[in-house]
Amino acid sequence: MAVATDIMDKLEILAEGAKYDASCASSGSFRRNCDGIGNAASCGICHSWTSDGRCVSLLKLLMTNICIYDCAYCVNRRSNDLRRVMLTPAEVAELTIGFYRRNYIEGLFLSTGVVRSPDYTMELLIAAVSSLRQEYRFNGYIHLKLVPGADSLLVQKAGLLADRVSINLELPTPESLALLAPDKSREAVVGPMRQVNNLIVINREERRASRSVPRFAPAGQSTQLIVGATNESDRQIVTLSEQLYRRLDLKRVYYSAYIPVVADTRLPVRSTSPLRREHRLYQADWLLRYYGFSAHELLDEKTPNLEVDIDPKTGWALRHLELFPVEINLADYEVLLRVPGIGVRSAQRIVRARRQGHLGIDDLAKLGVVLKRARYFLTARGRYPGGCAMESSLLRRKLVGGQSQQGGIQLELPLSQPQATDERISLIAGEL
Amino acid sequence: MSGMYRYDGTFAGLLTLLAHILPNRILPYSIIVDPLLQQSLFAEVTTIETDQEQVEEFWAELTKRLTPSCCNHIMRAFLADQTGRELMICRYLLLAWEVGKKIGGMLANPHVTPLWKLSQQVGGETHRYKGFVRFQETRGGFFYSAISPDHRILSLIAPHFAARFSDQHWVIHDMHHDEGIVFDRHRRKWLILPMESNHEPDLTPAEERFQALWRSYFTTLAISERENLRLQRSKVPLKVRPWLVEFSQGGGEYGAQMMPSS
Repeated sequence: MAVATDIMDKLEILAEGAKYDASCASSGSFRRNCDGIGNAASCGICHSWTSDGRCVSLLKLLMTNICIYDCAYCVNRRSNDLRRVMLTPAEVAELTIGFYRRNYIEGLFLSTGVVRSPDYTMELLIAAVSSLRQEYRFNGYIHLKLVPGADSLLVQKAGLLADRVSINLELPTPESLALLAPDKSREAVVGPMRQVNNLIVINREERRASRSVPRFAPAGQSTQLIVGATNESDRQIVTLSEQLYRRLDLKRVYYSAYIPVVADTRLPVRSTSPLRREHRLYQADWLLRYYGFSAHELLDEKTPNLEVDIDPKTGWALRHLELFPVEINLADYEVLLRVPGIGVRSAQRIVRARRQGHLGIDDLAKLGVVLKRARYFLTARGRYPGGCAMESSLLRRKLVGGQSQQGGIQLELPLSQPQATDERISLIAGEL
Repeated sequence: MSGMYRYDGTFAGLLTLLAHILPNRILPYSIIVDPLLQQSLFAEVTTIETDQEQVEEFWAELTKRLTPSCCNHIMRAFLADQTGRELMICRYLLLAWEVGKKIGGMLANPHVTPLWKLSQQVGGETHRYKGFVRFQETRGGFFYSAISPDHRILSLIAPHFAARFSDQHWVIHDMHHDEGIVFDRHRRKWLILPMESNHEPDLTPAEERFQALWRSYFTTLAISERENLRLQRSKVPLKVRPWLVEFSQGGGEYGAQMMPSS
């Protein structure tokens, strides 16, 4: 039983080190089960939800929490007094298969601290994943972290084994990186991202010519930004995300609210509602990816930060009341998408349903369109259901008042203000 | 003619019934399975015997008249655990017989809305249960899972698990509707059988170890500063928790042994 307890301890310590990585997606890849165990469903599947309401889809694990770096925001930094442990590649594979067979997880998310050198660490990760793919014939989802500074051949190898690869940018600007993560250079992070993007593009071309070419990172790459540890504005962050999506074709950018428990001397004292800010950034991110918005529409010099009490789309609409109300029976799909409160599904349903006849307000409710916000920005058969003048400050009052009964989303933290001491404890593991 | 109709409760039975009434544009007063229901004292009941040949003929016609997604809505609505679903399907098809494929877009029509909403509920539960199934390794050499879904989703989740776990024998037991899927890894086939619950599964030592590991992992994973139990409860309703390893203490207490009852 000694061995089992040992594994139990390691699992606890290494899950503790990995849990602050926000990435959880298991979607975007499709892998058949060819004579082994597992497959990857393109829709992604959540298996459980922890008491903080975040979903559990992948077995999120560090290979080791030993690290040669000393990044201020990270729990695993060299100077933090922690018990350091390490899993063997065989142990990682055994745990993954044991959990997967019982349908606890959708796959593996393997990250790590940097031990000895980036290349050595990357080789460890690759050994674990190739044991899964080759010995266990595992066809489930694998998300693999790339170690900044690892050899490009190793990066290529990783992408051939994993469904998604990622490397965390963590800090939005090179200045912040120099301040908080002095051992890493921006180029060591962005370089591999660029390389991965090139490899994905090349692989796509090759697979167009021949289907037998093995896939390289079929679910693409993602990254994470820590929000609130440094002084960047939302505008800087959203613009950066836009560039990452457009230039590097990233699938996701995750935002992780930095939660200061005890202040580090290098870290600024920041916002009191980090989760609300994180939530608004995710909303803006969705607007970039699925709603055809660009960063400069959402934020500019005059408004460098997203509004706290109103979502970014509603905020945009209130600044552009000249475009509203729109008639739902006539407006293009792209225009419908820009109506606050109307999402992708609602817009699609409206477009489908109106082909069979003009829609009234009651019909919208039947289609499942939520009118709480939308009613102020549309007409149906020429009728305006808002019941008040289209005037910015009046609408704002109505919309903010209506948001108090929001369900499910926690936006405030029950935290007292951090006290400044010499101790350095932080809650974000930006292990890479 | 708009009386009461009775069928055997199977999808094939319902299709036979529909094949009878649709050409004559009959909307039944009610459709029942159980012959002993009280209302049957007051109305004449037409009993429809399932006829496989008619089913195939009717299904061919149905797939010609409707889009594949509409056919899926009908199948999923049939699997819903809701009284009156047969009449709902009837009304939908009566309209479909008039307007044809256009019905796919008539989402706001009073005969269409209830059907796609019900189908959506069943589809949503199907997706959630792809995550909520928890297998336990038994000494009998198969992996056993008990679930208690609202709707009869077994036939909808079976292909997913059959593809994913094709190298293990497994059973998924729907305790709510007393039926289960049995998957045979040698023949790579699954079968839905009536099932009763009476015994706890006999777990292997490895099973108990993995359950303990998973519970400890799951607890560690939560970030206490971000605790949000309300959100967790909306994602994992209390009613599914008894069947989830990470929400129950120790293994086995909710288990049962597969036992085909007929």
